[in-house]
Amino acid sequence: MFDALFRFFFALSPVVFSQGEFRFAASTGSYVAAGAVAVAAALTLYAYRSGHGRTLQRVTLAGIRLAILTIILVCLFRPLLVVKAAVPQQNFLGVLIDDSRSMQIADVNGKPRAAYVKDEFGANTRGVLKALSDRFTVRTFRFSNAPSRTTQESDLTFSGSQSRLGAALSGVRQELAGLPVAGLVMISDGADTADAALGEAILGLKAESLPVFTIGVGQETLSKDIQVGRVVTPKTALKGTTLMVDVVLSQSGYDGQQVTLDVEDEGTLVSTQQVTLPNAGTPATIPVRFTVNEAGPRVLRFKVTPQPGELVTDNNAREALIDVRDRKEKVLYFEGEPRFEYKFIRRAIPDNDNLIVTGLVRTADNKYLRQGVDTPDELVAAFPKTREELFAYRSLIIGSLEAAALTGDQLRMINEFVDRRGGGLLMLGGPRAFAEGGYAGTPLSDVLPVVLDRSKVMQKGTVMRLTVKPTRAGAATAVTQLGANEAASAERWNTLPGVTAVNRVDEVKPGATVLLTGTDETRAERPMLIFQRYGRGKSFAFLPQDSWVWQMHASIPVDDMTHENFWRQLLRWLVEGVPDQVEPTLTTERVEPGEAATLTANVVDPAFVELNDASVTATVTGPDGAVADVPMSWDGEHPGQYTATIPTKALGWYEAKIDATRAGKPVGSAVTHFRAAPGDAEFFDATMHAATLRRIAEDTGGRFYRPSDTATLADDLRYTGRGVTTVEEHELWHMPIVLMLLVGLLCGEWGYRRVVGLA
Amino acid sequence: MAVAAAIVAGGLLDLSAVALANVDDDPKAEYDGRFSFLRVRVGQPLGMYRRLPPWAHDFPRADFHFMKILEEITFVKPMIDQGNIMTLDDPDLAMFPIAYLSEPGFWTMTEAEAAGLRNYLKKGGFIIFDDFRTFHNQNLFDQMQHVMPDAVWQPLDLSHPIFHSFFEIKTLDVDSYYGHAQWLGIFEDNDPQKRLIAVANSNHDLGEYWEFSDTGYMPVDLSNDAYKFGVNYVVYGMTH
Repeated sequence: MFDALFRFFFALSPVVFSQGEFRFAASTGSYVAAGAVAVAAALTLYAYRSGHGRTLQRVTLAGIRLAILTIILVCLFRPLLVVKAAVPQQNFLGVLIDDSRSMQIADVNGKPRAAYVKDEFGANTRGVLKALSDRFTVRTFRFSNAPSRTTQESDLTFSGSQSRLGAALSGVRQELAGLPVAGLVMISDGADTADAALGEAILGLKAESLPVFTIGVGQETLSKDIQVGRVVTPKTALKGTTLMVDVVLSQSGYDGQQVTLDVEDEGTLVSTQQVTLPNAGTPATIPVRFTVNEAGPRVLRFKVTPQPGELVTDNNAREALIDVRDRKEKVLYFEGEPRFEYKFIRRAIPDNDNLIVTGLVRTADNKYLRQGVDTPDELVAAFPKTREELFAYRSLIIGSLEAAALTGDQLRMINEFVDRRGGGLLMLGGPRAFAEGGYAGTPLSDVLPVVLDRSKVMQKGTVMRLTVKPTRAGAATAVTQLGANEAASAERWNTLPGVTAVNRVDEVKPGATVLLTGTDETRAERPMLIFQRYGRGKSFAFLPQDSWVWQMHASIPVDDMTHENFWRQLLRWLVEGVPDQVEPTLTTERVEPGEAATLTANVVDPAFVELNDASVTATVTGPDGAVADVPMSWDGEHPGQYTATIPTKALGWYEAKIDATRAGKPVGSAVTHFRAAPGDAEFFDATMHAATLRRIAEDTGGRFYRPSDTATLADDLRYTGRGVTTVEEHELWHMPIVLMLLVGLLCGEWGYRRVVGLA
Repeated sequence: MAVAAAIVAGGLLDLSAVALANVDDDPKAEYDGRFSFLRVRVGQPLGMYRRLPPWAHDFPRADFHFMKILEEITFVKPMIDQGNIMTLDDPDLAMFPIAYLSEPGFWTMTEAEAAGLRNYLKKGGFIIFDDFRTFHNQNLFDQMQHVMPDAVWQPLDLSHPIFHSFFEIKTLDVDSYYGHAQWLGIFEDNDPQKRLIAVANSNHDLGEYWEFSDTGYMPVDLSNDAYKFGVNYVVYGMTH
């Protein structure tokens, strides 16, 4: 529309103006005429200096007359637009066609994007491609993962699992290097699913002054669509862990509609719930709860049932990989006095569970009871005195134990246990815990998520009686889920018997999150369960001294699992994400078939000091059973970090077992999984990304088009100034706008005279 | 331990002024998070001895002596100045997960009491049966069968953790004035690898030794041993 109007007024396309150079081609006659115009202007000024009418009226009329004379003067000097135009058929043109799956979405006048592409660019005998072929030697490429030449319509399959715009542009630029290229034309929906940024490719194009003309195919907003936008899951979980996962849903065209959100673990339904969709444009975060009971690499699928009329149903599901570990993870529970809280917490974890709560109870001065130890020597000298001994545990619970029972080094060790080793720390309420236990000012007070103030402690013999409920933040965590669903869980918390506390905490740390609060007898709210991250690890404070009441109280049925579930979930959270001595990480859990996966492993010694001189090997077993040993080398930059790239061939799961040794002695080993499979990213955020395409065009000196205004594309491409060109001069004096201005000014002068009575 | 007995005998706990309690008052301590000695009140007042029903034998001196010893030698924080007497169907029983029942030979129960004890033990409670002779075993077995029909009493040997939870008890070859003592227990799910939910000192009377430990009526060694068993039971009940 804009282009058509522009051409109507200026007789040329905007591209000619943007690429052209403005000049005057004045002749001798021009200067003679200029003299005549100057005389006319002088006479005008003289004539209007005095006479009829007011001063303002005379100034206005003189101004109009001078404007007319100026336009005539400019025209007499022959203004020109000089532009380099491509010589027909002497230049090459790269045409890049998006061949990815998202082009199958039917949002171009009810037809698939691919249909438009085939109609206009499928063959050089029709559509836009014909217009281009009439002027240029066209080289057509299709792209998804990488660009490749296409010579016939049937080459376009629209089945690519990725759209790598940057890789496509760079690839075609290199392919056409050395040829006289007028520019590139990219036809795409602009959804760039590549990890690498576009910036690098654009820089290369700018360096060669190679303009890209982009055509955005598809709608910028899908009229009817539901999308599972994001799912945040832990990378690993202990078998039997109940996870609370945030699923982000967005939609258009289904405001307030109820849909079913299911979670499948390798095809088995593990959770289902009804969800009310948010308003269009407002993503909603839905907490979903499920338990991982099967070990190994598990693909969890979060799925919203497709609704009638949805344009894209492939984005109704998201997959996430969780490495479910079936192994024993040890938690050390150091209790300062025999008490029922200890008994019932240990009892909440069954013997066959993946969690082992190793108990160390101080029953009297220098007298300890050990439970759940693996060897006769374990904890035989009471609480660990070396980092190696303490860091062998994944998490630590400190019960009613005063700070003075620990040496300064042991307190520092516990700090490092969380900060450096990445372990979890939980301090329980009790007469000897928190500030009442003398922890204010110790290295542990830094770790704990609550502010300890030795001047604000509970008086001995006093006790707070509280009813406990989750906070809004707490309700979104698995640890507070006591019922089959949100409503049942809230109801359970409302009916739980009260507990007591003997520790005063008025303030939590700035970065801490309160998960449970208690209402005391004065109706004051007090934090009861608080969490924060500290260094590599995390810490919790649990203020009640007798959560066992949730098991024993007369109002609790015998088969009620509230207490057990609460502690199983809290202790699982405590060990979740705690690193091993060899801790693998993958850049991505999925790679495209044929691509290489980048595997990284952090290797530390038993005191969790990074090792740069370890020998690390990844034994990779492919889906076809092929085994390969891939050496991993220290990256030379990050202490203890080893990397390797693992090529993939076959589709399916790959297992990487990483073994680290040092001086011939084993340091540790770990197993991780990844898969080679086509991605489904194409259908997420599958609208046409005009901003990306516009950026590519504007940054490289090209233009962005929609399918409806590609009529001028072929002409516009002639004026990129690249390749074999000829100079064109376009006279501007006879542009329609000039005539319109002159006529308009003359009519304006006459009309004004009529109005003010000077005609 | 001898020192502990001497503490009591030496009068640090001067309970001579403690009158025989009017057990009908059913003293109850308000729960405040601390451990409390819980004596179970059961059945009809048959077999009165020293004007007390069988379940109240040795009360209150045994209870208070034992709590004082427990506080002196362990880090358990017991209520010293108050105890608890409750029936098995009392809802407050749940707040004190270790219970002591004296003279189970005279034990009778209502349905509500049986249900109360059943729930108590299944949820995690622990009960100590004391002060009865071998010929009273049958009533104990009968009553417990009423509570838990599938429960099986099993003899305990010295290797069981309950005899090592605090004191290292060296022998179970103990002669009390009832005769040769026998230790019996019921395990959770009748599995000896699981926790004990009930322990019974057949032909023994720990409470008697606790009661008179400050009088010189009983040999110090026997009183010490009685305290050792009691302390181990409590520490076991709080940790298993």
